Amino acid sequence: MTAAMASVFALPPADAVPGAAAVRARVRDFLAAHPPPADPARRVNCWAVADEAFSRALGQAGLIGMVWPCAYGGHARPAMERYIVLEELLAAGAPVAAHWIADRQTGPLLLRYGSEAQRRRWLPGMAAGEIYACIGLSEPGAGSDLAAVRSRAERVPGGWRINGQKLWTSGAHRSHVMLALLRSEAGSERQAGLSQFLIPMDTPGITVRPVIDLSGAHDFNEVFFDDCLVADDALVGGEGEGWRQVTAELALERSGPERYLSSHALLATLIDARLADPAVTALIGSLVAELWTLRQLSWATAAKLAGGDDPVVEAAMVKDLGNDFEQRLPQAVQAVVSADLDGGDDLGRCLAQLLLVSPSFSLRGGTREVMRGMIARGLGLR
Amino acid sequence: MSEMRPQLVATAAALFAGAPDWPALAASGLPLLLVPEASGGFGGDWGDAAAVLREAGRAALAAPLGETMVASKLVAGARASVQQGQGTLAVATGWLTATQSVQRFNGSARGVAWGAAADWLVAGHHGRALLISTYAATAGANPAGEPRDSLVLDAAPTLVLGRADVLELGAFVRVAQIAGGLEAALALAVDHVNSRVQFGKPLARQQAIQQQLAVLAGEVAAAGMASAAAARALDASRDARFEIAAAKLRANLAVARGVGIAHQVHGAIGFTMDYPLQRLTRRLIGWRSEFGGDAFWAARLGQRALALGGAGLWAEMARQGDR
Ligand SMILES: Cc1cc2nc3c(=O)[nH]c(=O)nc-3n(C[C@H](O)[C@H](O)[C@H](O)COP(=O)(O)OP(=O)(O)OC[C@H]3O[C@@H](n4cnc5c(N)ncnc54)[C@H](O)[C@@H]3O)c2cc1C
Repeated sequence: MTAAMASVFALPPADAVPGAAAVRARVRDFLAAHPPPADPARRVNCWAVADEAFSRALGQAGLIGMVWPCAYGGHARPAMERYIVLEELLAAGAPVAAHWIADRQTGPLLLRYGSEAQRRRWLPGMAAGEIYACIGLSEPGAGSDLAAVRSRAERVPGGWRINGQKLWTSGAHRSHVMLALLRSEAGSERQAGLSQFLIPMDTPGITVRPVIDLSGAHDFNEVFFDDCLVADDALVGGEGEGWRQVTAELALERSGPERYLSSHALLATLIDARLADPAVTALIGSLVAELWTLRQLSWATAAKLAGGDDPVVEAAMVKDLGNDFEQRLPQAVQAVVSADLDGGDDLGRCLAQLLLVSPSFSLRGGTREVMRGMIARGLGLR
Repeated sequence: MSEMRPQLVATAAALFAGAPDWPALAASGLPLLLVPEASGGFGGDWGDAAAVLREAGRAALAAPLGETMVASKLVAGARASVQQGQGTLAVATGWLTATQSVQRFNGSARGVAWGAAADWLVAGHHGRALLISTYAATAGANPAGEPRDSLVLDAAPTLVLGRADVLELGAFVRVAQIAGGLEAALALAVDHVNSRVQFGKPLARQQAIQQQLAVLAGEVAAAGMASAAAARALDASRDARFEIAAAKLRANLAVARGVGIAHQVHGAIGFTMDYPLQRLTRRLIGWRSEFGGDAFWAARLGQRALALGGAGLWAEMARQGDR
């Protein structure tokens, strides 16, 4: 047997977090005062639902940027406390989309690679739930093949001139900044010559156009840059270091509770429908078994990340298994209940919503095939 | 105990690799892993047991090691004297009668691992564990050819050990074995696709093969985590019913999704008696049905979720993880 096998998912279950019950109580009190939408169809897929008032209140309550240093508006709490907050919010179906990206990846990236001035300028507003960020990676010609990015930044006196187009940018229309991956070295190819830029969205020359998704919602956008001038300090981290930095950024994105808990409202609604059908009871049982296991896997990965490690393969597994679970969930429910998808009852509305949006789960944040390719690399197959 | 776990696991793996017979296993002390040191055992915890049984699964060990471990723990927990020889676990139907000072059990049990070969057994009956040593056995087998015997208990002298869910603890054993067995099947598959050449290159270079093995690896991860987390729950609390039910069901699903992939990437060679894959997959197929198949645990867990309600389910899962 190969030695590589020992490390397929070598992480132990995470230990209980000291003081966890108090953190949960704090979030539940907050949610009692700021209740998530009553309609469960607005609670499924809740991490794509934005409510700026909710995000500001959450920031005021000290529940955004929790692990960041106090000097930048954070609260210097342990990473696993933040995980508890996230899962409580998601399990309740809270509308977390507005601040999610800033809290999850833009803020941490600035802490890791940003300058002191960048941190002071952006982090306090992010932690307050007032400054939102979007992710500028994908382009028309660069999807899974991210190294095909063509949008470019050229050095000009005092700053950079940006031209090009980003696509599928979630939340660009309500974001204050975009963290964009751009080609900063003319004529460079593939992974070389890329840099990350933090671009204020009110910069002249930026046009945001909605792209309406198949459910009729406005979540993602196309973003055009037409001779946009940004200051020197828009560059984040090292010039030409964009690929390395973005790889680290994406690892933060993969294994969180949003990968298996974002549609929890459907499972809860199915349970509360009390259908008294043994097939439904059995389905609930097997969904619960998968949910429980995913939570263990995600916790273990989060604990590893919190320790400063970079469990790339484990994180890809959590995303792949979580996406698979969240996509099978509405399919399996549709197979056993005779739900009315035209909005008659809670269960039907949740189901209709998730059946429509769930195909995106294994696309956003890296596709299923890309995740499985990373796992295969971990197995030594490529 | 867990600071000794790496050493314990290494010792067990080396032992299991030699396909030990029962006397060799008994000499290793592993059957008494869960018995407190004061009672002559190893004083291991459930996490240690899961880790050792995972190795047993990986090695396709053909012995009732986990059954004897758990049965010995139940015996020791009741302050009865630790039994010598080979034990096993059974789930019995029938009735207890008390005549003068001695209790007797009349009934039967099916699918008992190495039932005929065992010197004694612990039977689960209405939420209690019973220690029994005399019974008649009819030979049976699971798909791997491991003995799964039918027992008739005819006025068998019985010692009531106390409250315990034997089915649940048996499921815990199978989850650990499934985790190890699937892991070993993945390892075989990876080795095979790295060495087998078709179309002028190793199968491993085919993206279709890579993607299938990534799925299998996910199932291996899920089964392994289910086992380790169930052990953690048992070590943290006396009530791990939810976690064990979830773990067995998830491990069963991993068998369902994983075994076919391991076979598919092997081609015909994996379908032969000579090649070692069958030693794993035949056991995995059997273990899925033992100590509660999918339907059993799905119904039990589903009823628990219904009793908790939609919000209560989450609260309960969170509470469990926090302890
Ligand atoms: C709801 C949603 C929100 C999003 N939000 C953002 C955002 O905020 N910011 C952002 O930058 N992007 C965002 N994206 C874009 C997302 O990252 C891309 O959709 C994803 O990277 C895939 O790119 P693509 O859509 O161009 O598909 P393609 O890359 O064209 O892929 C199409 C299919 O082919 C498969 N494929 C591609 N290459 C290979 C290969 N080598 N081997 C095997 N299969 C392959 C893919 O896995 C996929 O199944 C979002 C997408 C969605 C659906």
